[in-house]
Amino acid sequence: MTDHLLLLLQAASDTTRAYGEFPLIGARAAVWIAAEVHLMFAAFVLGVPMFAVVAEAIGIFGGDERYDRLAKEFTRLLLVAYSATAIWGAVLVFFLATLYPRFWAYLTAVFGPSMWVYAALFFLESFTLYLYYYGWDRWKRDRAKWVHWGLGILLNVWGTIVMFIANSWLTYMMTPPRDITPATDPATIKLWHAIANATWMPINVHRLIANVVFGGAIVAAYASYRFLAARTDEERAHYDWMGYVGNFIAISALIVLPFAGYWLGREIYQYDQSMGITMMGGFMSWLWVIQAFLIAVLFLTGNYYLWVGMERIPGAERFRPYTKYLLVVLVLGAIVWGTPHTMIADSKELAAMGGSHHPFLGALGVMSAKNTAVNLMILTTFLSFLLYRRANTRPVVPWARAGTLIQAAMFALAAAVVLFYGIRGYFVDAIVRIGFSVYQVLAVLSCIVFVTVIDISLGRGAKSLGAIQWGKMPARSQYALFVLAVTFTWLMGLMGFARSGVRQYWHVWQVVQDTSKYAATPALGYASKMISLCVLIFLSLVAFVFWLGGLAEKSTFVAASGPEGAKGARHVGH
Amino acid sequence: MWATNAKIVGIVLGTLALYTLIANKIPQVQSEVPQTLTLGANVTPEQLVAAGEKVFNGIGGCTTCHGLGTRAPNLLTDEKGTGPIGARCGKREAGKSCKQYLYESLDNPTAYIVPGYQPIMPVMTRQLSPQQIWALIAFLESQGGTVDVTASDVPAAAAAAAAGAGGVAGFAGGSTDPKAIIPAAGCLACHKLDGQGQVIAPDLTHVGARRDAESIRKKILDPMSSIAPGYEKLAGIMPKTFGSMMSAAQLEALAQYLAGHK
Repeated sequence: MTDHLLLLLQAASDTTRAYGEFPLIGARAAVWIAAEVHLMFAAFVLGVPMFAVVAEAIGIFGGDERYDRLAKEFTRLLLVAYSATAIWGAVLVFFLATLYPRFWAYLTAVFGPSMWVYAALFFLESFTLYLYYYGWDRWKRDRAKWVHWGLGILLNVWGTIVMFIANSWLTYMMTPPRDITPATDPATIKLWHAIANATWMPINVHRLIANVVFGGAIVAAYASYRFLAARTDEERAHYDWMGYVGNFIAISALIVLPFAGYWLGREIYQYDQSMGITMMGGFMSWLWVIQAFLIAVLFLTGNYYLWVGMERIPGAERFRPYTKYLLVVLVLGAIVWGTPHTMIADSKELAAMGGSHHPFLGALGVMSAKNTAVNLMILTTFLSFLLYRRANTRPVVPWARAGTLIQAAMFALAAAVVLFYGIRGYFVDAIVRIGFSVYQVLAVLSCIVFVTVIDISLGRGAKSLGAIQWGKMPARSQYALFVLAVTFTWLMGLMGFARSGVRQYWHVWQVVQDTSKYAATPALGYASKMISLCVLIFLSLVAFVFWLGGLAEKSTFVAASGPEGAKGARHVGH
Repeated sequence: MWATNAKIVGIVLGTLALYTLIANKIPQVQSEVPQTLTLGANVTPEQLVAAGEKVFNGIGGCTTCHGLGTRAPNLLTDEKGTGPIGARCGKREAGKSCKQYLYESLDNPTAYIVPGYQPIMPVMTRQLSPQQIWALIAFLESQGGTVDVTASDVPAAAAAAAAGAGGVAGFAGGSTDPKAIIPAAGCLACHKLDGQGQVIAPDLTHVGARRDAESIRKKILDPMSSIAPGYEKLAGIMPKTFGSMMSAAQLEALAQYLAGHK
């Protein structure tokens, strides 16, 4: 009895020294907000330079100055956003050091040297960004332009390394190497051993792609606001185009993202099955239904934007009758994807359902149906984009008809492969069924690659049916871009909760336990309020940041708008 | 422009509100920190059932497999026409009451494998306290049956546990006889040895030809240290707690014994 009391006193004493308190919202909410908003800004400032450099390269190699200007505009958005990233990063560190001092001490004991490198790289990244932006007009010709482009690449290199370092800290919390136990002295853990943990590289890749998606979506929202606020046709044309490019970047990268997510999920399962099951079939199972809903919104809104955009393309009317069929496939796919499968239910709920699965819908909730649905949704979105791309051209190459038929056959073949393995999956063991998803993905990716290659060849010398009327876009399409930006941001918050929450009551999985009063992992309802609050803070700050950026930019835009307007009528953007 | 700004704000807030609303309308499941269960001498069946339900849905991790219809038998609903677990537990094994059957199923899950399922269930008496075990049994009995767990069962189990089935004394009451340790530790739930056990994990009959004592010792202490070829998909299943559940003498005896299986 005395021993028990002593243990309790010891635990209370440990906990007192281990945690601080934050007024009103509590320590966990404070760290949650700081981390999430920091991460959102960080994703933006890491994603945008990637496509800024690509846009600049298109400007250099293609000789189209609009892309160079677009790249500069992307980079201008970075400047103030970069400061906000640093500020929120500092807030996060201060919160961790004061509210979770013991855990922070543990992390610094393991990762101290990498934190120094992180700070040094942050300096390098900052100054490279300033050089890149402020040197834009000075180094815009000949060899100097190449040097400038090199700075852009360097900016991406620093940013990527910074992200990789930060990722090592959070993935260590999730999947520490197996030989590390609660008894391991953190000072004895080899730095590289801790960094190269099971989920480090999958998270690195997943975040690289996700940052591009996120950056594209925020840029598109910025462009849509500028479009709605535009006072001249030239300005409207420019921001219509910019919005299209941003959306194109976001949706294109989004299509690849599930494959990186699949890799991450597999690594989690291989590291610890119980963690994987908790994530997919345990208390977090409902989260994936919400995720399916959000992704359905993304697919539907992204396609809607393309379909509305076809209204400003001469010749697009011949494809309009097909959009309703595309919509049917997308809606059916979204419904199947959102059908729950494994989730926690109490005895009353199970009795009401008539068993562990719904007698009819249960068959749609399994992986075979879901994989089939999402692959068909990706194919459909690609088809929407292809129709958009083709809208104002008519191929003139001699093999145009044969080429189009081959493209159609590729779509049909890919869909058939997806459906075949989807149906076959119901008749084989789970271990075999998992392998089928690889064939489905390969069929879809192959179709996308080969159809695109054929389409580029088909488009050579194609007869124009008229230029895209950039700027002649209904306002509702621009509001769709806002819905996309909000949904992407919310989805990012939700996935952050999934990744972090799967640790449950551990700071470091099965190594450092959370003994604070906030150790329980909250339900999705509470998490959704926190996510919405973070998204609101982030978007409000972004609006302020972009407004600030606009103050300095206006005059330069007007000066360049004359020739822009003339060029804006050309068929561009892909 | 004010109208446009208002529309944008409306769309942003409306979208956020929609997502928040949906996330609040679905069942709310919070992941709780496991709590120590203390049952008094006057605990009632109702209190046991209530405590057992928390164990079932929480620290026990039972819902991870049971109730999904694929990994393990349904317990709370009908299982192939035999009813929920409380209704069928007394009929599963001749001569065994529901209470006995459930306790043995939790203490030695491989004893009664339901046809059509794999022996993947861990030994729950090593993961849960006696109080939690008996509360769980009471809850399972309540699913279509009669609860006959009483306060008197709990101390009996606690005493049995204190007598040596696990803990620092090690498996099998601290015996250093590998033939006693192996079944007590549940190795045969996954491994086959000398014709006995399951084939989920590598067959140990000739393990000495593949590994020396040092390698076996390391594997027991840190199951992820090396994975037998062909079993990569099962990496992570073997508990990493065996090292802390047996004495040093037991570990050494087991390593030497298995290394001798050439």
